[in-house]
Amino acid sequence: LRNEARFLESRALAFRRWQHPTRRFTDKHEWISVENGVGTIGISNFAQEALGDVVYCSLPEIGTKLNKQDEFGALESVKAASEVYSPVTGEVTEINTALADNPGLVNKSCYQDGWLIKMTVDNPSELEDLLSEDAYEKYIKSIEE
Amino acid sequence: MIIQFSLKKCFPLYCVLKAPAAGFKTAKEGGLILQSASQDVYQNLALEDWIHDNMDLENRHVLFLWRNSSTVVIGRHQNPWQECNLRVMRQKGVKLARRRSGGGAVYHDPGNINLTFFTSRKKFERIENLKLVVKALKTLRPQLDVQATERYDLLLNKTFKISGTAAKLGRTTAYHHCTLLCSADKFVLTSVLKSPYNGIKSNATPSVPALVKNLFEEDPTLTCEMLMDAIAGEYASHHHTANHIHVINPADETEFPGINNKARELKAWNWLYGKTPKFNISTSFNIEHDQSRAEIQISMDVKNGNIETCQIDVPRNWLPLDMHDELRNSLIGNRFCPNETTAVATALLRTCADSKLHSKWHILCEKIVTLM
Repeated sequence: LRNEARFLESRALAFRRWQHPTRRFTDKHEWISVENGVGTIGISNFAQEALGDVVYCSLPEIGTKLNKQDEFGALESVKAASEVYSPVTGEVTEINTALADNPGLVNKSCYQDGWLIKMTVDNPSELEDLLSEDAYEKYIKSIEE
Repeated sequence: MIIQFSLKKCFPLYCVLKAPAAGFKTAKEGGLILQSASQDVYQNLALEDWIHDNMDLENRHVLFLWRNSSTVVIGRHQNPWQECNLRVMRQKGVKLARRRSGGGAVYHDPGNINLTFFTSRKKFERIENLKLVVKALKTLRPQLDVQATERYDLLLNKTFKISGTAAKLGRTTAYHHCTLLCSADKFVLTSVLKSPYNGIKSNATPSVPALVKNLFEEDPTLTCEMLMDAIAGEYASHHHTANHIHVINPADETEFPGINNKARELKAWNWLYGKTPKFNISTSFNIEHDQSRAEIQISMDVKNGNIETCQIDVPRNWLPLDMHDELRNSLIGNRFCPNETTAVATALLRTCADSKLHSKWHILCEKIVTLM
């Protein structure tokens, strides 16, 4: 019975992992995770730490068409405006309105509540040009050295 | 070689220097020192954009020295109504500019020097640049007590701000720019950096007010030219490059293709005011008319600089309901701007024949214009 329980647990874990969309990264520290053809975009933990306290998030209007690498907004922290760039080509479908009153969410929860925009992914093949989580970790290590 | 900068002489100098200056963009390595021959803030900000967008900064650094005529420069995500006195600025001919970097509002005039340090994004290091400025000041006047703070300000005698910093980080390149107060008009500075507008609610980046002082007040022998030369000299020795200041004209389309478009963009209402983060203004005022007094309450939501919603509450029977409804409806969709509101009001007032009502309506419109 115990073995069976363990087996079920491992299956459940595998299922959750399978459900959790994987994040892919740009070398400019944006991440994207795609679910049902819609990509959610944010900045990485490395980027939010480097920025310091975010005090303002400037985000695009819904409906804005973006090409891969287009600037779509800027995050302001300690007097610096850092521009953020679209990892793929598509159209903005939603912006994180919670950031208007609480820009610090980008620092507190860069992978969950601090996401920036959602957009369509017009050329799914573009995702393959981005870094996997492991490759991104390695990349961070290489630039920190 | 250091080329002395003087406004009267800058044009002939620019002509003399044009040949060597033309070649600077082709070099791919080392440091480069540029100085603007223009005091037009939009042209100078456009040159920053141009360098940021067009120059290969992977293996080179650029220092750009520039001064402006009287201007209030606000940060990228600021609200001009919250930061400055637009009415006084219009009266005195002080320009408004919005930069692409973050941070707060500052006052520029020819007594203030601006320094822009361009690097690759990787080599972006504000504190190093500020140390270089401090070193240049100390070389010039060893007795000066100047220190950089955690907020990247430079403080004189641990109390007075003489320099403020802001930065922009792009994909591969970045710049850090800072002001340096030498002999700016502090009377104008104080009067324009104080907002008279009440009741603004917004998430825009607020400025942090500070006590300021000119270096000239500490040492009357200091001039902007001396300070710029000292900083250029320090920059040249730090980057092991020739101490040569290239005087450039930021309106020169052949030298900087597309630059005049950039300047036009920076000068446009849609950038200066339209980029203001969404805000609400709720305020009340009294109108005295014909020995009676009425309290008016007004609330507007302004998005992209346009009036999105508008509510005007006037005491019952003070003005017919349809009249203030008409005013409200005509304001919605218009720019939150005195010229446009005056035009709307003038058109409306023409439709009113009753002289008593006309006069009340007119005062109300004028009061609304003063909010902008």
